[in-house]
Amino acid sequence: MNLPTFVVARHRHLKWPALDPLENTLMILCGVSIAGFTTSVFVDVLTRTLDFPILWLQLATTGFFGWGVFTGMAVATRRMDHLNLVEITKHMSGPRRTAIEIINRLVILVVAISMLVFGIQNFINDLGSYRAPSLIPLATYTACVPIAGALIVLFCLEQIINGWRHGFEGPEDSDDFAGIIK
Amino acid sequence: MSHGQIILLMTALFLGFGYMGVPVAFALMAGVLVACALTPISMQSMIGQMFHGIDSEILLAVPFFLLVGELMTSADVTNRMIRLAQAMVGHLRGGLAQVVTIFSMFFAGISGSSTADVAVLSRTVAVEMTREGYDRAFTAALIACASTMANLIPPSIMAVVYGATGNVSIGGLFLAGIVPGLVVGIGLMIYSHFFGPTGLLKPRASLCEFYLSARGAVLPLMIPVIIMGGILTGWFTPTEAGMVASVYIILVLVPLLARGHIPKLPRDFVYTGLLYAIPLALVAAASAFGWMLAYLRGPDIVAGWIEIFAGHEGRLIMLFLVLLFIVLGDFMDAVPAIIIFMPIIIKLNELGDINPLHMGVVLITTLVFGLITPPYGLSLLVASKFVGVGFPKAMYASLPIYVVFFVAIGFTVLFPDVVLYLPKFFLPESVGCFKSPTGAGYICPH
Repeated sequence: MNLPTFVVARHRHLKWPALDPLENTLMILCGVSIAGFTTSVFVDVLTRTLDFPILWLQLATTGFFGWGVFTGMAVATRRMDHLNLVEITKHMSGPRRTAIEIINRLVILVVAISMLVFGIQNFINDLGSYRAPSLIPLATYTACVPIAGALIVLFCLEQIINGWRHGFEGPEDSDDFAGIIK
Repeated sequence: MSHGQIILLMTALFLGFGYMGVPVAFALMAGVLVACALTPISMQSMIGQMFHGIDSEILLAVPFFLLVGELMTSADVTNRMIRLAQAMVGHLRGGLAQVVTIFSMFFAGISGSSTADVAVLSRTVAVEMTREGYDRAFTAALIACASTMANLIPPSIMAVVYGATGNVSIGGLFLAGIVPGLVVGIGLMIYSHFFGPTGLLKPRASLCEFYLSARGAVLPLMIPVIIMGGILTGWFTPTEAGMVASVYIILVLVPLLARGHIPKLPRDFVYTGLLYAIPLALVAAASAFGWMLAYLRGPDIVAGWIEIFAGHEGRLIMLFLVLLFIVLGDFMDAVPAIIIFMPIIIKLNELGDINPLHMGVVLITTLVFGLITPPYGLSLLVASKFVGVGFPKAMYASLPIYVVFFVAIGFTVLFPDVVLYLPKFFLPESVGCFKSPTGAGYICPH
């Protein structure tokens, strides 16, 4: 059975086809997260209305939500869907474009490495903290930060290497807001 | 380095990297990490703050209101509301321009996303407007301006973020946003009537046509009733109201009105999953930035500057903040602007004895103006792209319409009693009223 593909067709020259399944999986996980917390909030309201509140549902809700945000943050890096103040590099070309694009990705890389390294430290600390009332370790929530950091590092390196080899210019440069998300 | 110098450095890094093309969330974090290196604050705690910034149940309302917009747009249920708008105002001078405004008011009551509003109108009414000879630049400008109402008329994503970070009643902000939303809507209708293109003059819809289009739009128009009705009666929190509206669309609207769309629902969830993550990643980074700003006593520094000019005069302080947020809205997204400046806003509310709800609605009205001003006018950028006209042309066409927004902002600042009438009536606690010890009614601050 063929799974639907959510891999965006833009910026192909900056992507390794080998990572497409990862992008697809992360997109599906984004959908799972929102479907998950829609369901958990729905069941939470329903059970509270029926006077049978299930307390751990609120923990499940915030878990789906937090993981969804950081998974989305990672996959948006590969798809280049993040919000920018301006996209001046689109109007550049040649070595100047390459230099600025690489500097930009190095900034992202530094932040992502910080998310990975310090996120792991937070994860280890949070193994000893628990969330009431179900006493789920806080680490199960905060693990999303270093994982997102690792994924962003991977996608950043992919773009830097491919951009260095093939240049950052692409057909979508002339197309501002080529497809917000889709 | 002094605290003031560190604040300037982290702000310069954020803006510098941002204008080089680094995504906003990462540019913010880059500034925060450099500030960490210059202060005793550990980077570990700031990375932890990213998670804690979004670890709030109230913020869950954001994805739900985005989901509502996405489902309504992709299932094409919105066509029924467009038909109703056409039956109501299609016969007026500049009929389709009026339809844009009326539809945006309807849609604003359903979705909190201006971008979703632009997408719907650009795919539908804009095509008809071009066919009828409306100037494309005017079409893009009007659609972008009308879409701003999505963030004023409830539910509003900006109100959710403002309420969650500023500890202000979201229900109160929703209600307070109605008046400036209507001022913008009425202003756009007046502008289109007197200064917009004439378009094709059509006969007034018969009573029967009006009835049929109203009947067709009843089910989608139940959504604002569910959302605001649920919040005002105390049945739902804003988050739960968003969820109920989403479930209503999935279980009632789509099966009844767009059955063919059912197989595509998983796709809507996937895209909304990404759509909500992007602004919330900004929230995560901006909350770390705001935390660092508060640690460096940024609010005291800025409040000190404003105090020099405005003293403790509430309205003058508000005017300073409006000017600041007009400039900010030109250069950055509303969500990080709200979160980063929230500690400063809270400090200034105390300084000028300003009602936090009034300040909230004034700043949200100011920030929606930023959606249509260059260089970061997101709604105008998207509208010009979808309608197929250059951004400079669309911006030029939108310049005269700015007057409508100046009037809306001025009205919101100068007439707090009118703006806060609805929250005071329905949710008195949201404006600082408290129950009278005698049990009869509420005692409200002046």
